[in-house]
Amino acid sequence: MSKGFASNRLSLLAVGVLICFMSVGVRLVFLQVVDRDELLRFVDKARRQIVVEHARRGAILDARGNLLATSRSEITVAVDPWALTEYLDIDKNPAHRAKRVAEEQAKHAQLADLLGMSFADVEKAYIPGMRSIKPENDKRDGAVDGQTKDRWVKLREEVDEPTFDKITALNIRGVTHERVYRRVYPGDGLAAHLIGYLNREGTAVTGAEHNFDLYLKGQDGWIESEKDGARREMAQFRTREVPAQDGDDVVLTIDSVVQHIIEDELKTVAAKFQPHFATIIASDPMTGAILGMANYPSFDLNNYNKAPLEAQRNYAITDRIEPGSTFKIVAAGAALNEGLVTPYSTFDCGIQTIDYEGRTIKLPKEDEPFGVLSVADIVAHSSNRGAAQLAMRLGDERFYEYARRYGFGQTTAFELGGEVRGTLASPDKWDGLTISRMPMGHSVDATPLQIHMAMSAVANGGALLRPQIIKEIRDNEGNVIRRFGPEKRTQVLRPAIAAQLAQLLTGVVREGTAKGFDIPGFEVAGKTGTTQKLIDGKYSTTHHVASFVGFFPASRPEVVLSVIVDDAHVTGGTAYGRVVAAPAFKHIAEQLIQYLDIQPVTVPTRNFLAMQGGAR
Amino acid sequence: MKPPPAHAFVNRLIGLTLLLLVFSGSLGLGAVWMRQEISQAANRGRLLEGKMADVERRLDEVNAEVAAAVNPDVLLQQNQAMRLGLMSPREVQVVRVGESPELRLATKRNREVFSLASASLSDQAGEPAFRVVTALR
Repeated sequence: MSKGFASNRLSLLAVGVLICFMSVGVRLVFLQVVDRDELLRFVDKARRQIVVEHARRGAILDARGNLLATSRSEITVAVDPWALTEYLDIDKNPAHRAKRVAEEQAKHAQLADLLGMSFADVEKAYIPGMRSIKPENDKRDGAVDGQTKDRWVKLREEVDEPTFDKITALNIRGVTHERVYRRVYPGDGLAAHLIGYLNREGTAVTGAEHNFDLYLKGQDGWIESEKDGARREMAQFRTREVPAQDGDDVVLTIDSVVQHIIEDELKTVAAKFQPHFATIIASDPMTGAILGMANYPSFDLNNYNKAPLEAQRNYAITDRIEPGSTFKIVAAGAALNEGLVTPYSTFDCGIQTIDYEGRTIKLPKEDEPFGVLSVADIVAHSSNRGAAQLAMRLGDERFYEYARRYGFGQTTAFELGGEVRGTLASPDKWDGLTISRMPMGHSVDATPLQIHMAMSAVANGGALLRPQIIKEIRDNEGNVIRRFGPEKRTQVLRPAIAAQLAQLLTGVVREGTAKGFDIPGFEVAGKTGTTQKLIDGKYSTTHHVASFVGFFPASRPEVVLSVIVDDAHVTGGTAYGRVVAAPAFKHIAEQLIQYLDIQPVTVPTRNFLAMQGGAR
Repeated sequence: MKPPPAHAFVNRLIGLTLLLLVFSGSLGLGAVWMRQEISQAANRGRLLEGKMADVERRLDEVNAEVAAAVNPDVLLQQNQAMRLGLMSPREVQVVRVGESPELRLATKRNREVFSLASASLSDQAGEPAFRVVTALR
């Protein structure tokens, strides 16, 4: 081999290599410069994807950490019939193909069993079909004919995780799925009006779900990346990633067991008296924390779509009733607070008329004839004429001012919203009889919660508090990020006067209108109410609102409890508060004493003897 | 000095080109290897994220089931179905102990253990050999 040939060969190789490089360079120029925009568009369309990461909605818990509402994943199972067809088409051997078909059909039978469907329905879903799409979007299968392969035939919604695990284990060709989060309420109907619900679209409709949605919903995140031919994300090409921020947990003040106790009692009341509606509220007088609030009728949160709208109303805050005799705490408390009377001051409750500001006013009727009564007796026996005379001692303006201080005629600022204000007309709009009727709870209306909070003010030393339903907010790691404390709205009575009124209210169960409903050792203080309902502008003699609102123990109150029953049906009698509401109050109170471990104010003698046992 | 012949220059050029090719090739292979590693790490991360999400999902599922199982209504039904006869106590059944039960039981126990009779076991005359005084609150 000559030296010149070798040299030529090397030159040839060098030129060849250079040409290759140049070809690559030219191609690169075409790819990177000339066709760049078009190629980028294609790549973007084919590979780029933005995946939204849904934030998990926070849970709702009760004060003891029991779950009241949480999110649970559910799966929508579907099939891609074309995936099976394509899988079978790969094998051209008829025998092998028949074997594959038989194997898949056996799995389909198991799938049908797991989903509770017929085998025929599953097989029908596996028949390949086409669906119509907009021609401008029809580029996926090559032919622009407005038709594309239908790769999503839904089999079943709301499949739970364990069932889906079994389906996945079968490794069935063409089975696909979509995971969605659905709100579940483990207590079913427990505290339904307080918790509220999310509808199928995921919109918070009522209750805590709606009002604390800002805390609960969290913030969705997103990932911008690329996908491969099998539409799987290629994580190495993630360009932007915004993590989802899960929602915070909302802790309510209610206690599931207290809530259950009052709901159980409400069911008994409803079964016995078939009322139009009934409400029971329990709260802590010192903080205003609602321990339980229940309404009849109610509904199951997991089946809210089957409940009539009437059952979804939180009557405790949306409906107004005349408070009746429970309103007498206004006149009695105000007169004591102003120093106009003492518990021993007496009034003639047998008179039928009285002179007031130069006019002779007819006093309201009494349920039973009274003579001279002390203020303590007026409260205990619920004298209408006595209450009217107490209000007259105060005068229109002062009486109205105290009614406002007790919270009547204004919302309680309850955090769940939807609350109505009630009606308390100012003295310039009163007629001549109002000063004698309003003290007995007529000519004024209020929500059950307003009445409850007014009594709570007597229990806690005269301070009107905002009813509290939210206790704290926790992040998804359980750390408390916001705590809600008691909020005082106004001082209604001096603490000493509130305590004095509380003692007067113990007379109601000891010797007054609810005699016999005392709980020995626990000083139940309360007030019955029986209001005639206004029907067609007239007070009905057959339709009443029965109520019993009180607290215990009177000298160191721990629970305020209200039982309000609208239009109860009492066979052969009137639906008095003592007949309809007081028994329920007592039954609930007995259970709460045990559950909340409320200590008696006075220890019965038998306990003293028992305490000595075992000491020697 | 005599200039180098032309083919020597070409040879050197080819040699350098080959060296460059080897160098760039190894760079390319290195880059591919690195991208492969990045890709595998990213996908492992994605799988782990998926597993974590799956565990959290299952945890939520279990929590929901536990919450449903301890719902007061369900517990009452269980109480009836299993005929346990459990019910909340009534006040009449409750004996309230004012003092600390631990202290009272400790005192009772101490009296038994350190009683005069037991302390006098070693004494022949029946008199206690020593006296134990326990502190009572």
